[in-house]
Amino acid sequence: MADEYKSRVTDLHARRKKNLGMGGAQRIAKQHEKGKLTVRERIDLLFDKGTFVELGLLAEQQPIRGIEPSPDGSPADGVVTGHGEIDGRQVWVIAYDFTVMAGSMGAVGEQFKAARVRELALRYRKPIVWLLDSAGARIQEASGSTFAGTGWLFYDQVVMSGVIPQVAAMLGPCAAGTAYIPGLADFVPMVKETSSMSLGGARLVKAATGEDVTDHDMGGSQVHCYESGVGDNEVDDDAACIASVRRFLSYLPSNNSEPPPRMPSDDPPDRLVDGLEKIVPSNPRAAYDVKRVIKSVFDQDSWFEVKPTWAKNIVIGFARAGGHPVGVVANQPMSKGGILDSDSADKAARFIRMCDAFNVPLVYLMDVPGFLVGSQVEKEGIIRHGAKMLYATSEATVPKITVIMRKAYGAGYYVMCGKGYGPDVVVAWPFAEISVMGPEGAVNIIFNKQIEASSNPEETRSSKPAPKRSIARGASTATSRYETRRQPPGHTPGGALPPPGDLPLANAPRSNEFARIESARQPSLLRP
Amino acid sequence: MEVKAELVGSVWKITSKPGDQVAEDDVLMILESMKMEIPVTAPKPGRVKEIRVKETDVVKEGQVLVVLE
Repeated sequence: MADEYKSRVTDLHARRKKNLGMGGAQRIAKQHEKGKLTVRERIDLLFDKGTFVELGLLAEQQPIRGIEPSPDGSPADGVVTGHGEIDGRQVWVIAYDFTVMAGSMGAVGEQFKAARVRELALRYRKPIVWLLDSAGARIQEASGSTFAGTGWLFYDQVVMSGVIPQVAAMLGPCAAGTAYIPGLADFVPMVKETSSMSLGGARLVKAATGEDVTDHDMGGSQVHCYESGVGDNEVDDDAACIASVRRFLSYLPSNNSEPPPRMPSDDPPDRLVDGLEKIVPSNPRAAYDVKRVIKSVFDQDSWFEVKPTWAKNIVIGFARAGGHPVGVVANQPMSKGGILDSDSADKAARFIRMCDAFNVPLVYLMDVPGFLVGSQVEKEGIIRHGAKMLYATSEATVPKITVIMRKAYGAGYYVMCGKGYGPDVVVAWPFAEISVMGPEGAVNIIFNKQIEASSNPEETRSSKPAPKRSIARGASTATSRYETRRQPPGHTPGGALPPPGDLPLANAPRSNEFARIESARQPSLLRP
Repeated sequence: MEVKAELVGSVWKITSKPGDQVAEDDVLMILESMKMEIPVTAPKPGRVKEIRVKETDVVKEGQVLVVLE
């Protein structure tokens, strides 16, 4: 009896050891040659030391419909699953192992392991991270009637969306249907050169349409982080990618019923921000880099930009104010003059909705000449894209702070959380101009007849006044002094900070009607 | 390397000339669109080979403005 027990334990240890060895030394060397880390090295980087708890290590491919499993076995069935801690908070992981059958999604790994992690992450309301390095579905196990029953993966992601944070880290290929994992995730960092995603891999594309293209050319970070906007941040290597995942999660709560974590900050909240007047030119036409404003206003080193290389005319990302995470939406005059277009509206709308879902207050830094006009943008459907941003800003019930740095023109003023969109406070800097359009355009229209009739149109035009009276009429609730301190009006500079729950930022009053509508929007967590 | 207009507008001021050595992010010309001055910068260091527009020209999105080498 004792011998039998011992032999079983020995066998268990041997199987564990084999599966911890992933696809074997040769395939691991190949993985390293490509500049990639192994799945277990990645997990070590992702979690706080010694906190990873693995589920399903002993999983192996099973015979399906008479097809014998691979004689080498498929350690952990090509996917490592479990949970660990990031900065002391629990996070769940589904990490594909490219050294085992090219990280393909097999029946055991997908239906038993990954599905279980999704279920548990949602049950415990903890964030979920995918480390993607996978050739896609293991076709021999997924074709035929099996396929019809699948699809829970994306259904689950949609149910989880806005309830727990979801991160899809692109560390290798991610072909075919799995490309919807990043499509549905909240944050998608992509490793330069080695990662790619596309709805059809290169071979499938060749067979289906005849197009000759590589996975990298079709779906590398140079496409998705610059042109399509599916990828968020392009990073240099696996380590940088995983560091960005940890950083991203540090701004978000574990789920939608918790406040975002507050970090201690030794940057004084009443610090005088010097030189803003040198960054933002008084000439309303001149360009400048709004990121310099963001970096000087928020807590030192707290700025984490999302999608920095796509639709650069709007800047989005997280920062901290007095240690409290905020989502920043800022016009970028450096790119396209900060004019809003289809992609920038789309980019901002999605970010605003994510911040709203996870209780992250929004700060709008406004300097917008309006939406781009003309035949090109109408063909793109700029009205449809602009409407997404109107919708997102209107429906956001987190605290919203609007800072009008310079221009606030046209519908750009609306989508950047103008007075009508429920901001908790609107602050205007001394050069702020709020109007349906710029003074020159307005003068041309209002005094059209006089200008046309004039013998000297230029002189008539320049003699007309451009009214700047919005503050007097209550369009903005406060004007900051020329010297700019970081604290919002009403705060006692240098006073002790209240505990996170008592922060005025986190507890802006909402009418009962809003609360009722908002609670009715909570997605049902029960499967049909 | 071709430097293209990122949006429709008119050429307000050309601040470089053929033969100029430019560093990354150096301003080559300034467009005007929606009453904004929009700097066109060099994406990479190089030498200005050709300037394909003149001041007050109306340019379309994607139109080549400057050729660098």
